[in-house]
Amino acid sequence: MLNALNFAFLNELREIKNSWYKLFLITLLPIFSFAFLIFTFHNGVAYKLPIVIVDKDKSDFSKKLLFNIDATATVDIKYRVDSTKEALWLIKASKAYALVEIPSDFKRDILLQTQPKVTVMLNTQYILVGKIIKGALFEVIANSAGEIEYVKNLVKTQNSTESIAKISPISLQTTPFFNTYKNYFLFLMSALLPSVWQIFIVITTLVSFGTLFKAKKEKEFFGGEYIKMKIIGKLLPYTVAYMLLGLLFLFFIYGTKGWIFEGSFAVVIFAMFLTVIAYQAVALFLFVTGFDYARSLSLGAVYTAPAFAFLGVTFPTSSMNNIALFWRDLLPIAHYMEIQISQANYGVDIFMESSRLLTLAAFSLLFIPVFIMFHKRLQK
Amino acid sequence: MNFFEVLVQEAKLIFTDVAIVLTIVGGVVFYSFLYPQPYEKESVSGLSVSVVDLDKSDVSRDIIYKLNTTPQVDITRQDMSERDAKEALEATLVKAIVIIPAHFKRDIALGKSPTIAVGADSSYFLIYGAVLEGAMKSVLTASVKLKVANLLKANIPLSSAKDAYTPYAINAINLFNKNNSYTEYVVPAVFILILQQTLLIGLGILGGGVNERRTRGEYLHFKEAKTYQVMLSRYLIFGTLFFVHMLFYFGFSYELFGIVHVAKMSELLTFGTVFITAVIAFGLFLGALFSSREIATPVILFSSLPLVFSVGFIWPIEAIPDLVRYLSYISPSTPAIKGFLELNQMGADFNAVLPSYTILLTQIVVYTILGYYFINKNRKTNEQI
Repeated sequence: MLNALNFAFLNELREIKNSWYKLFLITLLPIFSFAFLIFTFHNGVAYKLPIVIVDKDKSDFSKKLLFNIDATATVDIKYRVDSTKEALWLIKASKAYALVEIPSDFKRDILLQTQPKVTVMLNTQYILVGKIIKGALFEVIANSAGEIEYVKNLVKTQNSTESIAKISPISLQTTPFFNTYKNYFLFLMSALLPSVWQIFIVITTLVSFGTLFKAKKEKEFFGGEYIKMKIIGKLLPYTVAYMLLGLLFLFFIYGTKGWIFEGSFAVVIFAMFLTVIAYQAVALFLFVTGFDYARSLSLGAVYTAPAFAFLGVTFPTSSMNNIALFWRDLLPIAHYMEIQISQANYGVDIFMESSRLLTLAAFSLLFIPVFIMFHKRLQK
Repeated sequence: MNFFEVLVQEAKLIFTDVAIVLTIVGGVVFYSFLYPQPYEKESVSGLSVSVVDLDKSDVSRDIIYKLNTTPQVDITRQDMSERDAKEALEATLVKAIVIIPAHFKRDIALGKSPTIAVGADSSYFLIYGAVLEGAMKSVLTASVKLKVANLLKANIPLSSAKDAYTPYAINAINLFNKNNSYTEYVVPAVFILILQQTLLIGLGILGGGVNERRTRGEYLHFKEAKTYQVMLSRYLIFGTLFFVHMLFYFGFSYELFGIVHVAKMSELLTFGTVFITAVIAFGLFLGALFSSREIATPVILFSSLPLVFSVGFIWPIEAIPDLVRYLSYISPSTPAIKGFLELNQMGADFNAVLPSYTILLTQIVVYTILGYYFINKNRKTNEQI
């Protein structure tokens, strides 16, 4: 029996050695995909986002405000136009993300204390960019208003602490817990790399079995004996390869960037192992629906491609509807991500992870129908 | 062989292939329902928060009350200490904590500007933003109330006190996607990518399959049919099918998920037709390069995530390296997503999308020439054998 496993394992290693495609699938292609995504986001923080200005006042007050806005790292005054209409066109053509309009008589109204309004119009179609710019503009505009107020208060009270307190009686301190590097880069990577990884596991499994059946060599290979062991042996080289690739992205996320990892790597690595096996089981399950190479690839694509959206990392699971949560439960990577995040951030002990680990392990039950279907097919 | 016969043969070849039909019909319809699901409840709201009130004054209770009334926040716990609250956060019982310091009321009265601490699990970016927004709002309103009260104490009449609490105000207007809906943010862009990727996989399986058969010596109708007839047939068959898909996505699905659509029908369809044509041209070219049926799906699939993230709607284009940006223009989805968002979500006129439109037209020309060249070359190599 173990001979059968050994035979299938060595046979698959030989196959990989002889096929550029299979070799690339477990080496260059995933590594290149990881590298491409890392490179795309490596700037991490967004800065110099173009905005457009409509200054209808052109006083020293408005110039001071615009100077302060331009001095922030986040936005860049790229256009200055005379009418709101022109400014809006620039936003609609995606040339600028926001417009800041300073009304005429801005200075006069400040001096008369009739509180003029600075209008900020934001392209909130791009939610993230809209939020970043909104935050930056509000901060600088409020601070600039504070400057004027501070001077005014200082003249009255001659006391700087009290002058500040008059501007904002309560201040707000914000602390992002856990993910202390509020850097979008690592945040995205921690979910994106596993999403790419799961696509590769499914596709590679399908390529390995698909090519065998397409070449009509399955009878020769399985020979009607020890079918289960041979399936396992054939999967094994890829289990090892994807464990190594998993460790690679884990090392990148938590090892190289000094991102704090509170929990146990052993738990995450164990979860990773269960995830690889789960996806191999799912891939074979898709394959046995018709034993057709191209068709199973189409099914694999439909299954793995949308996973990222369901991870609950960009959009919280607590706000998802039941259909989304159901589909999410069908994705091993979603359960894996929960473990990765809870280990990295909170370091909860293995007993608290047990239900998640059990869920991941449960995907292996798919091997039962897989083995049955293989037996049926090969003994025909 | 006349053109009509080629067209019929091609249609048979395409629609009898389960793998192709599964993708270009099944995949397209399935995704149109599945993809918008996570965001169906729209905005992030009602996140559970724990409050630690170390002051227990009327002012602190007022702030907590205000915080609880903001839609983003739902106060589910009151903890006695920062430590208890943090433990609740770690056990994921709450998503954020708000701490009001001791002597809060006294410090305000003394003019000392005390600090309220807000902490949220920023592993989940949106949660962090939502709680912060809710906290900001309630603290700001409390702040303004106190300021006006202070001004009133200084014998300034209420009307001018209300105006004078700050020298100028900010009037913020969300231009598009006013409710910060995630559906409106993600779905319109992802839909374009789905249309492209399924179309490319379909054409890729077809092209690769034909190449594979040829190496096995099966020529089907390709011996008699001319290259331009084959290409034109595929433009027509895939073009018609995906034009219908496009109407289904922009019409039915947009209505179903309540997505804003503001483009003029004529402009949307003009732009859309050019987009679909460009994708078919690209797919014909790629299909000619694939040596078997099974290469297309992995290749197209692996490109999906990089493509969606290099477009610039999730992550600003200014922060994406130039090399990635230029590379992404190989794919019709890049100019198409930009153009469609501008036309249909932001209400731009056609002038604004002309740059994207021109890129798509260029892609049609380039990929049609490349496709013709490679399909012809494949045929000749095998005829010599």
